[in-house]
Amino acid sequence: MSDHDFHPLVKQLLDGDLTLAELPAELRAEGEEALRLLAAADRTPVSMPAVTWRVMAALERRRRRIRPWLLAPALAIAAAFILWIWPARLTAPPPLVTVRFVLVAPDAKAVSLAGTFNQWDAHATPLVRAGATGVWTATLSLPAGQHQYAFVVDGQRWVPDPGAPAVDDGFGRRNSVLTL
Amino acid sequence: MLTLLAVPLTLLTIQQPGAIAQRLAGRVSPNVAALVEQLGTAGSARGLPVDPLIQKAIEGSAKGIPDDRVAAAVRRVATLLDTAAAALREGGLASDTLAITAGAFAITAGLSANDITALARVGARPQALTVGLRVAGTLAALGVPPAENIALVSVSLRSGKPAADLLLLPADVESEVAKGLTPAAAAAGLSRAAAAQARHGPPPGHGQERPHPPAPPHP
Repeated sequence: MSDHDFHPLVKQLLDGDLTLAELPAELRAEGEEALRLLAAADRTPVSMPAVTWRVMAALERRRRRIRPWLLAPALAIAAAFILWIWPARLTAPPPLVTVRFVLVAPDAKAVSLAGTFNQWDAHATPLVRAGATGVWTATLSLPAGQHQYAFVVDGQRWVPDPGAPAVDDGFGRRNSVLTL
Repeated sequence: MLTLLAVPLTLLTIQQPGAIAQRLAGRVSPNVAALVEQLGTAGSARGLPVDPLIQKAIEGSAKGIPDDRVAAAVRRVATLLDTAAAALREGGLASDTLAITAGAFAITAGLSANDITALARVGARPQALTVGLRVAGTLAALGVPPAENIALVSVSLRSGKPAADLLLLPADVESEVAKGLTPAAAAAGLSRAAAAQARHGPPPGHGQERPHPPAPPHP
């Protein structure tokens, strides 16, 4: 029998969207008949070739074994991947702020800047001497945030910036602090 | 559900050691590198930042400090990060590595764990609180005592000032100190001005302008 034979509301009854009681009175008989036929069809043995039957039965057993919690590891790996990717992709880098560093060191042969912004590399950021005045300067674009630094005079002497606040560096000296 | 949480956290944790070793390669001795890796891996599993440990190790090595003293300094930084994280949790802020780093800096500069908790309890968003902690640490480095420091940063955070205004507080204090005020008096004056502005609003036509600094002392 084809479901085209039934009224649309009876089809909804067969789909489980309606109950028999919800059908209009004039359709209840049709609905009861449809349910009777459906029940009979469900009980009718279906003859299938043996191999096909076993395959289908195996597939059915396999399908039944699936449980939602088995998806957890897959979801966890997906979550880990997202967490791993997100910081790099979605965290905007802090804006850059231009800063001019100045040190008066008339007797110095060389002055450089070392700090958290250049991995404390005493050779990475040399200052430039302004003529014969003894004023050494460097202008950098640094990310907004907090930086600690010191001047390195003649490659050996670590000198805090006299124009900036300073904190204990943990080694008995002082680091200058720059908050941008 | 536990699997859902455990797997990503484990993956995030195990990617740290490689990153730490890579950053320290050729910059510090193997002993210091091993210590940083050990402390950093353990700390990151507790939600602590690793960067301050790496920075302190590199700094010590760059300054020619003997290994045992570098190791001691790195251990101290690890302790400070733990202390700052606990203080922030006490104040109601969940793990935020930038705020923890800023809190550890503030403690280095002279504030206490209770001061950090007090700032966290203001209820500012983590990003604003991080800026507030950095500013509080800078003010401490300028010699502003904790009471006046926390009062000034708290009132500024409560008023919802933009980060740019908060960042100007140290310069404002320095400006007043240059006029002859003590750091404590300068901060107290700025606090009063900010509180008054918060009560009455900014002067007409000035929008969200920063508070007027206190008048310099009479000669």
